[in-house]
Amino acid sequence: MRPFLEDLYFNPSSMYAPAARVARAIAEARKDVAALIGANPSRLFFTGCATESNNWAIFGAARARPERRHIVTSPVEHPSVREVCRELVREGYEVTEVPVDREGRLDMNAYVRALRPGRTLLVTLMHANNETGVIFPIEGLSRIAKETDPDILFHTDATQSVGKIPVNLAGEFHQVDLLSFSGHKLHAPKGVGALYIRQGAPVRPFLIGGHQEQGQRAGTENTAHIMAFGAAAQLAQRHMADETAVRARRDRLQRELAARIPMMEINGGGAPRLPNTLNLAVHFVEGEAMLYQLDAHGICASSGSACTSGSLEPSHVLTAMKVPFTARHGSIRFSLSRYTTDEEIDYVIEVFPRIVAALRRICPYWDVAKNAPRTDIEIPREARA
Amino acid sequence: MAWEYSDKTVQLFMDAVKGKPGTHMGEIENPDGLGEHGSIVCGDALRFTFRVRRHPEDPTKDVITEARYLTFGCTSAIASSEALCAIIEQGGYTPIEALRITNEDIVKYLNGLPSQKLHCSVMGAEALEAAVYNWAQRRGVDLEKLGVRIKMHDENEGRIVCKCFSITEPYLRRKIRELNLRTIPEITNALKAGGACGSCHYAPGGLQDILNEIWGGTEAVTPATAPETPPAKETAPAAHAAGEPTSPYQRMKRIEQVVNERIRPLLKNDGGDIELVDIKDSLVYCRLTGACAGCVGAAMTLKLMVERILKEEVDETLRVIAV
Repeated sequence: MRPFLEDLYFNPSSMYAPAARVARAIAEARKDVAALIGANPSRLFFTGCATESNNWAIFGAARARPERRHIVTSPVEHPSVREVCRELVREGYEVTEVPVDREGRLDMNAYVRALRPGRTLLVTLMHANNETGVIFPIEGLSRIAKETDPDILFHTDATQSVGKIPVNLAGEFHQVDLLSFSGHKLHAPKGVGALYIRQGAPVRPFLIGGHQEQGQRAGTENTAHIMAFGAAAQLAQRHMADETAVRARRDRLQRELAARIPMMEINGGGAPRLPNTLNLAVHFVEGEAMLYQLDAHGICASSGSACTSGSLEPSHVLTAMKVPFTARHGSIRFSLSRYTTDEEIDYVIEVFPRIVAALRRICPYWDVAKNAPRTDIEIPREARA
Repeated sequence: MAWEYSDKTVQLFMDAVKGKPGTHMGEIENPDGLGEHGSIVCGDALRFTFRVRRHPEDPTKDVITEARYLTFGCTSAIASSEALCAIIEQGGYTPIEALRITNEDIVKYLNGLPSQKLHCSVMGAEALEAAVYNWAQRRGVDLEKLGVRIKMHDENEGRIVCKCFSITEPYLRRKIRELNLRTIPEITNALKAGGACGSCHYAPGGLQDILNEIWGGTEAVTPATAPETPPAKETAPAAHAAGEPTSPYQRMKRIEQVVNERIRPLLKNDGGDIELVDIKDSLVYCRLTGACAGCVGAAMTLKLMVERILKEEVDETLRVIAV
């Protein structure tokens, strides 16, 4: 990145010779990123982030074909898809959310029923879920959409999967029209993303007012970040095989924690999952309290608990998966990478069960002596019907 | 960390989790007062107990000597519980005097709480009130006669305004007055009501209506933009079946019949089966199951065998899609 911040600061759109060097470097980075997903480089457009890519894909598809007013999606999508769909509902669009089961797998029969030949504009379903890592079968889903009606556009948010598992737009993803992802999920710096748009797919540009990115995404290129994205893509491709080791560490963490902590759900544990994600829901413990304790031990994790978000509602993903209410506020996510070590895993295995036990001692529903829920008090039923 | 807690809040939380001496985590056996507030469903719950030094003649002169809590909840919920017990034990209050402790006292003890976390302190004050009510029942004290009004016990009845957190209208009305809540965000921060789906904000009889009624329409903050309508659930597609030469229903029945009578027996010979998932016009969605599921030839079977038979028996335009 540094040469492009220090010496090669030229605007790639300018006419002088050093600018052409920058433009050529961007073209190389574009090839590297496109190669990671088997895409034609001329159909890969750099954006500011995957959120922008998702906004572009959905709004751009809607504007290109205003006569179609129906969208198929799921209740577990990232907010940058869910909120855009809600925005379109306000504009009179109809959105069908295909439910997921207890493991987070998409209900395929409901998906088929949701498709409307001649009327559905777009299917937007994520490849891997950002909370649970559960993988949707994009190959089959895109094929069914296209066999139903070749004019239905198929978009997938592959932010979590690109670089971790194979994604090939020339292979099993050949019926995918639009694919979003970001740089920072493959260790590039934050602030760069990409959208792939298949040749001929009717999608209007989102940011307009400039010739950059073939006029499809206006705005001066974020040169240094694009360079880093290219380099990260090369590294990700080279290290794809390392994901087997990541999976082995994740599985060991899961196994050892499950052996030490009673009443703990492994969210998405029964579904195909990313190798690096472990999402747990601990019954009778609140997520934010766990995060705070983990943080005090120098362990960085995430939670879908209501208390960690601005809203008071727990994770929409776990709610859609019908995770029991006694565990829904106790979710915690450990994300590994190829840089996570065995020692770090050992440390979490040692520390996390102690944290859970300590918080359960405080919990009014837990019997410490029996290490099980109390039976002498009533545990409330679900509040919402 | 997403939340900015005071050092005092963090310290009380950490001490409680470590079970440091002097902290109040636990439950008193055979307590003189027991109160609960919140629910695990909503993300936080407090079970509060206290013991008194009983006055031999006049129970209203009982003095609280010990207070304990068990809390399911986040950092600030646990710290608020700790604060409540500490305040009570330090004060040497009678239960009726203890009722004067408000959520603001808890916030003060914690050196402040993030506004979105105020409900944690409210939970403490509510559990205390419930425990005092429970003490009065156990000790035969008629609170109403003494001029002490505790209404919470009949507020569980009544119309539910916020369905996400099961919050009733009588409770809302009392707390809006007590805590001088003037806007919907203030209600959400203090009581959680309206904090999840948001559909009760501007619904008839919802939070804004209640605010208007209590404070008068002029004082209430009216939203600058039109209230958001929640996203519509899928509505039934418009029926426009007219003009079809053959009844779609009849054709669907015919497809089912052919699948059941001709195709299924053939597949069962090989230990397989078929599930008819959906029919849309000429598109027939099927899933091969049993021994056929996952078979490499499954897609070919569907095309060559299932689709061919359906074309012959029902309609040349039919297409089979594997699910």
